[in-house]
Amino acid sequence: MTHQLDEYMEAEIQRLLTEHGAVAEQGITVQCRENLLVLGGEVESAERRDEICRQITANFPDVQVACDIGIVRAAAPTEVEEIS
Amino acid sequence: MIRIAAVGDVHVDKDVLGRYRPALEQLPDVADALLIAGDLTRHGTVEEAQCMAQEFGGLDVPVVVVLGNHDHQSDQQAEVTDVLREAGLTVLEGDGVVLELNGHLLGVAGAKGFGGGFAGACASKFGEREMKDFVGTTEAIADRLGDALRSLECDALVALTHYAPVPETLVGEPLEIYPFLGSYLLGQAIDSAPTALALHGHAHHGSERGRTPGGVPVRNVAHPVIKQAYNVYQLLSEDAGAGLVRV
Ligand SMILES: [Fe+2]
Ligand SMILES: [Fe+2]
Repeated sequence: MTHQLDEYMEAEIQRLLTEHGAVAEQGITVQCRENLLVLGGEVESAERRDEICRQITANFPDVQVACDIGIVRAAAPTEVEEIS
Repeated sequence: MIRIAAVGDVHVDKDVLGRYRPALEQLPDVADALLIAGDLTRHGTVEEAQCMAQEFGGLDVPVVVVLGNHDHQSDQQAEVTDVLREAGLTVLEGDGVVLELNGHLLGVAGAKGFGGGFAGACASKFGEREMKDFVGTTEAIADRLGDALRSLECDALVALTHYAPVPETLVGEPLEIYPFLGSYLLGQAIDSAPTALALHGHAHHGSERGRTPGGVPVRNVAHPVIKQAYNVYQLLSEDAGAGLVRV
């Protein structure tokens, strides 16, 4: 079956990313370009980013995927905010 | 002066071990306590809770947390809570704690919270049982949060939730999912007490700052929003402290 880059597929991808045990991400954005699926957002590790791309590619083999997912930085802060 | 470090949505599992630790080692130099706004784990398993305990345990400052929706995914929230408590973390769910820090009393009331939406676009307790249960769940949690906030005797009062109490800190998320990200009932509970600061997470694409209708500052500390290991907030300021640049 050929997957069309349509709203149903976008919904299917969002549910896969959230409900698949190996992913469990709710913060991934999915944008459909003409013939390209662009994944965005940030996750906690490179393993998670790679797993997301692996799952999407495995489940939608005929779709070209661009993975723009980043890893959230975890450096110590340099500033304090005064609350008043 | 009290300095509170805060972060949410750390979603810890084996692959995250060690990522926060270098910044956490510096935390006692810049803050008196660490508050974590839920989604501590990926799927809420005991193994992930052990990773969370390892990564965020054994610090020289008190650590107070609430659970998030991810921590409920495996229906093991009680076991997850036990693991975190054994590691010395304080886990709040509709209750509070008072910490003596730096000669001041910091009160923290916490609850996971739940959805329902905000004024003008919120769910009502009407119709199907499932709908009434949904709104009823948020109401019960918000009631307990309000009770806990009003019961604490302290110099500075902080509300800690996973779900958002106001829509301002959701800006950046699709408007359509606001009802799944928070509820005005949490804001109302926060406004029912002399709350100095409300911290939440959950909205990974949201914004950092907002205020409740009653004027309480709200900060979304979800890790993807703050983009660092934790933020530091200063309460009861009387002087400029050392260590960090004031903004
Ligand atoms: Fe989260
Ligand atoms: Fe969440």
